[in-house]
Amino acid sequence: MSSSEDPREKLSDAPRHRQTYRDLYDGREPFFPNFLLKEWIIGAMFIVGFLIWVLLNKVGLGSIANPNDSSYIPVPDWYFLFLYQALKYYPGNGEVFGAFLVPVIVTLLLIFLPWIDWSKNRRPFKRPLATASMVLVIIMMSWLTAEAWAQHQAEVGGSAAGGSSSSSSSGLPFAVQHPTSTALMATSMPGYQLFENTCAGCHGQNLEGSVGPELRGIGNVASSSQLLPVITKGFPPNMPPGGGLTNKSQLQQIADWLSQQKQK
Amino acid sequence: MIKRTYDWIDERLNITPLWRDIADHEVPAHVNPATKMSAFVYCFGGLTFLIIVTQILSGMFLSMYYVPDINNAYYSVQYITNQVLLGNVVRGMHFWGASLTIIMVFLHMLRVFFTGAYKAPRELNWVVGVLLFFIVLAFGFTGYLLPWDQKAYWATSVGAQIAEQVPVLGPYIRLLLVGGSTVGALTLTRFFAIHVFFLPAALLVLLGAHFLMIRKAGIAGPM
Repeated sequence: MSSSEDPREKLSDAPRHRQTYRDLYDGREPFFPNFLLKEWIIGAMFIVGFLIWVLLNKVGLGSIANPNDSSYIPVPDWYFLFLYQALKYYPGNGEVFGAFLVPVIVTLLLIFLPWIDWSKNRRPFKRPLATASMVLVIIMMSWLTAEAWAQHQAEVGGSAAGGSSSSSSSGLPFAVQHPTSTALMATSMPGYQLFENTCAGCHGQNLEGSVGPELRGIGNVASSSQLLPVITKGFPPNMPPGGGLTNKSQLQQIADWLSQQKQK
Repeated sequence: MIKRTYDWIDERLNITPLWRDIADHEVPAHVNPATKMSAFVYCFGGLTFLIIVTQILSGMFLSMYYVPDINNAYYSVQYITNQVLLGNVVRGMHFWGASLTIIMVFLHMLRVFFTGAYKAPRELNWVVGVLLFFIVLAFGFTGYLLPWDQKAYWATSVGAQIAEQVPVLGPYIRLLLVGGSTVGALTLTRFFAIHVFFLPAALLVLLGAHFLMIRKAGIAGPM
């Protein structure tokens, strides 16, 4: 029955806000208070569940930030893990592709979705391409998140078991042993004084390492020409490029001297 | 007394149509969880708003004690956690609420996607929704640094390194975020300002637009 056939429509003194027959049959109801009350039941359960979770899961606080501790294995919050993991598959120059091009394309696809999936069909099975793409994206994001977390756990476990000192995961591209001989070599070379003045603050007066990694026996695994680019590049933010030196011949002298440190 | 006060205000400002419009607009049965239990998926948007409101409230209380500088940030968070009355609960709400907001935004987006609710005439509301999603992610990214512990510091360092990979603009984006050559004092104050002033402003404007548009275009019909 349409509302125009409703006999009460003709009554001039009928109240303005009353339920018409149409309301009774299609189940519509006013937003406030009728609908909001029902939605609030769901909301109340949601908030109670959330508060129980908060009370049962205390939030910890790690140790204070130490910009010099290069051994800390960083990990983003869980909702960025999929992105973090995806970037690992684009080494070298591919990182531009992975860190920029792919996210930009995905963002644009998401923003312009209504104009890409433009048909009038709303049912998921009537637009298989859109539905399949989203399902695939969800599966990939879940997998990448799980994989990132598993790899991070393995890394943390590995470094905890692997070495007691922070220098064990120094980020150095060379595997540094821990030689039993600790005597410095070739201390007459000019690089020795430069090292003591510039680098020893972090790497130790006797190469024993402190903030920076131990460098004893570095000459066994790296030549002067291999060391020079590593020193020049540094490890920002922990080690500034060149350890703060900019003079190329001084950097060469340090690299030459370090390559002579062949402690066994 | 209450009625007379209301009438006095209403005579001058004519506020009745404002709230009657919100109160009286009809909500269709297919989104009503009382009609059909499976309609609870239509509540995800409202629940997102609810959890955002709790985030704003807990954040306001946290800012009473939090100090955004590198010497005190960590200790102020420690103080909130261990000394302040219910401080650990408020911090817990803000911490877990951040994750929950992202989960709810994502679920809401999936509901809209799979019911095709972004189609004409609601395209613009989808665009605003996607922007809100990125705002929420930006909240997560900037908020993560604020406790200034190891986890926070190194995650932000990695994030800044990733931002640097953007061609041409990368170094500038990194400088804009970090404020110097390494993550430090400037980064913390910057992230704090972004987290508590810039992003909330953007969030509230976009949320207002989001709600206005759903009122104008109406809720998408049943499947």
